[in-house]
Amino acid sequence: MKLTPYLAFAKKSFLNRSAYRFNHFMGILNTLVRIFIFWCIYRALYGERNEVDGITMAMVTTNFVLSIGMDALFSINDYYLPNRIGNGSIATELLLPISFKGRMLFENLGNTLFQLIFHFAPALVVCVVTVGVLPPVSFGCFLLFIISAVLGYGVLWNLSFLLQTFSFWLLNMWSLMTIKNVFLNVLSGSMIPLWFMPDWMAPVMNLLPFSSIYFTPVQIYLGQLSAKEIGTKFLVQMLWIGVLYLCGNVFWKKGKKKLVVQGG
Amino acid sequence: MSFIEVTNVSKRFRINKRAGGIPGMIANMFVPKYEYKQAVDGISFSIEEGEMIGFIGPNGAGKSTTIKMLSGILCPDSGSIKVGGYTPYKDRKKYVGNIGVVFGQKSQLQWDLPVIDSFELLKAIYRIPEELYQKNLNRFTEMLQMESFLYQPVRQLSLGQRMRADIVAALLHSPKIVFFDEPTIGVDVVGKETIRQFIRELNETDNITMIFTTHDMQDIEKVCDRLIIIDKGSKVYDGELSGIREKFGTTRQLDVEFTQECEIEPVENVQVIPLDNRKKRFVFENRDVKIDELMNELLTKYSIRDINISEPEIESLIRKIYNGEVS
Repeated sequence: MKLTPYLAFAKKSFLNRSAYRFNHFMGILNTLVRIFIFWCIYRALYGERNEVDGITMAMVTTNFVLSIGMDALFSINDYYLPNRIGNGSIATELLLPISFKGRMLFENLGNTLFQLIFHFAPALVVCVVTVGVLPPVSFGCFLLFIISAVLGYGVLWNLSFLLQTFSFWLLNMWSLMTIKNVFLNVLSGSMIPLWFMPDWMAPVMNLLPFSSIYFTPVQIYLGQLSAKEIGTKFLVQMLWIGVLYLCGNVFWKKGKKKLVVQGG
Repeated sequence: MSFIEVTNVSKRFRINKRAGGIPGMIANMFVPKYEYKQAVDGISFSIEEGEMIGFIGPNGAGKSTTIKMLSGILCPDSGSIKVGGYTPYKDRKKYVGNIGVVFGQKSQLQWDLPVIDSFELLKAIYRIPEELYQKNLNRFTEMLQMESFLYQPVRQLSLGQRMRADIVAALLHSPKIVFFDEPTIGVDVVGKETIRQFIRELNETDNITMIFTTHDMQDIEKVCDRLIIIDKGSKVYDGELSGIREKFGTTRQLDVEFTQECEIEPVENVQVIPLDNRKKRFVFENRDVKIDELMNELLTKYSIRDINISEPEIESLIRKIYNGEVS
């Protein structure tokens, strides 16, 4: 697989993003408002206390800033494939001599790079100044955090791709994606930090991929995991990537075979 | 073996059929009913390299389905397709580098970016060498007069401009085969002419095999050498454009203007339609009536000012074929 055409796609989606500036600024505002609302709620819940169950308000804030920030950063378009199947343009796109999945990934990466520079970075600066964010415990942890965040991205991308391939059979994907997003919000820690989840939820969370996406990187960032635990978590993340990737591939191949192009 | 070889290809689709209204919707949720539609039913044809084929048929005849199978998007249920040694749906990634497709109704340009950016992207996708890219780009933009809008975002182009840009996009990598699916749809008369001329010229100079689907008979008459007509999934005609007249165009009409009003004696096998006081139209089948004999008879019997013989137009013939009036 030669990279040049795929990098061209990454560049294209990067450039595409600059077409609608107003939309972009509203996006940053949206991220900041989300973080601010959660900060206010937990500020009120904490009241006069400094910590609950050993978790300080600063840790909770950091969790929100990082996981909502990562959510905005990854910004995977859940309707990339469904839209193309729905309006039939997948036909023209399968006519290009490149891998469709590779193209999809790189278009998203181009977008993510744009988000990193023009969305995540400014939003992070605003958060550091206003609500305050803890620094990473050490430089090593910061590096591991980045690796883990990249793996988290892999899990989320493959999960989204797997669900998107269902659109070969289902014409309306909205309900499925909404269910996914509810699970993602609740079980990934971007709405309720997973420290506060009841104990009986632990096995459920361990069996599902969601906590690998945002919460594992956050835990590493905050230095909550030992070296051994970090190793295990990395393995779990990679295992999820593998499983979701294989399932996605099976459905992708089957779907392509039965492809009936709508509206043509 | 020919360049494109299609043998006995069939394809059918499963269509979800539901009864109307709320009861129908609920019934459909639990017991979906399907029916099958035979889109393509045992079609065979072969095409040589460099040919310019008009591929036509009424809506729903299976044109698009056939084109999609030829371009490797759809997989036929049975039969085989060989194009230049490839099996399109199996060797998709290798195969599609050799073809170009223009869908008149779907653009492959990037909506928000200037035309030139889309071209640059295609250059990267098809790995077009810089030299070839520049050569093709300059040549095509000049031929289609595109210099003025090369740097405008696609969403601001007029339909005619967009279509020209789309055609260039399909040709940048010097494909061996190009499929045009209604490339002149919604384009004005001048624009259509530019597009037709460009296609014609390119076919002659570059020996590109072209397959052309359209509903515009002018396109076909001006561009294509050979015509394949399909209807209800099967081939009904395959041959030269002029052959259609020979095969289906058996009626002739003769418009005669007499010098004065007169009664016409009935002639065997000829239908006489009065047009106005002094003009009459004689309609007859070629095989029943010899035109020279009929004219002779008219000339000797009546005094005639003007005679006009006309052949049926291709368009009306094709309409007849679609309606199933001729076979």
